[in-house]
Amino acid sequence: MVDVSTIYLVTGDTREPVPAELRDAIEEQQLIDWQTQWQPAMIDTLKELAQRGVPLAQWPQSWHWDWRKKQAGVAGLLAFPGFSIVAEGMTQGLMQLDLTRAARWQAHAGKPLAYIDYLEVAPWNRPDLGSTLRLKGVGTALLTAAVALSQAEGFKGRIGLHSLPQADAFYARSGFEDLGPDGNYQGLRYFEMTEERARAFFEEE
Amino acid sequence: MKKTMTLNLTDAEMRVLDDLSSRKDLSKTAVLRQALRLYQAVEIRVEKGDKLVFENEETREKAELMLL
Repeated sequence: MVDVSTIYLVTGDTREPVPAELRDAIEEQQLIDWQTQWQPAMIDTLKELAQRGVPLAQWPQSWHWDWRKKQAGVAGLLAFPGFSIVAEGMTQGLMQLDLTRAARWQAHAGKPLAYIDYLEVAPWNRPDLGSTLRLKGVGTALLTAAVALSQAEGFKGRIGLHSLPQADAFYARSGFEDLGPDGNYQGLRYFEMTEERARAFFEEE
Repeated sequence: MKKTMTLNLTDAEMRVLDDLSSRKDLSKTAVLRQALRLYQAVEIRVEKGDKLVFENEETREKAELMLL
């Protein structure tokens, strides 16, 4: 049974509130939306970037993510819950977590946390792709869901993730501690939200 | 929705549960929920033919955990 909560996003241009569903699952409809709406939009963006001669390093770094494969790999596993946000009849964001990881931040090292394996918002909601956003707040809403799950599981709100370079600034300003590049994980920076930061983050949201 | 059940544990098992609860800063229920997740994840990987291996980060020595 999927748990559905109502949240509010805002439109990218006029900041009007838009009701949305936060769902504690990634279901077939989300994968259909990813395949039939996100992927074509991403391909159009990549073509445009190529035409403009934008260097590959500046292309969206998650363009190759295959959500159908990611979901198939964790289907039915309790340790890897998924979340999705649906608004205006369309999937606006997806997140997959791993509940088997432990904290690295010295004060909480070894204690469990909710690790964000993947978090992606629809191409039309990505600020790094240049055009006016359709909806704002999708990424932050997914982070809030991760903190809430961590609290519900007794992990005190601790969450962690490896960030793609284009998202480093987003996680830094969202209250994560930056533990630096991880040599065992393609050199991606590892970020962790401590219990204290999680409490503050949750209160702000 | 969560359901409640009674768990019968020996003294030794209860000591381990208490110890994990204390070291991981988790309630006993949270420890058991975490154990269930890990057990399921390991079982499914092993059923697919994967091995469960522990590696010492310093020595890089690997030890296989036999699951019977």
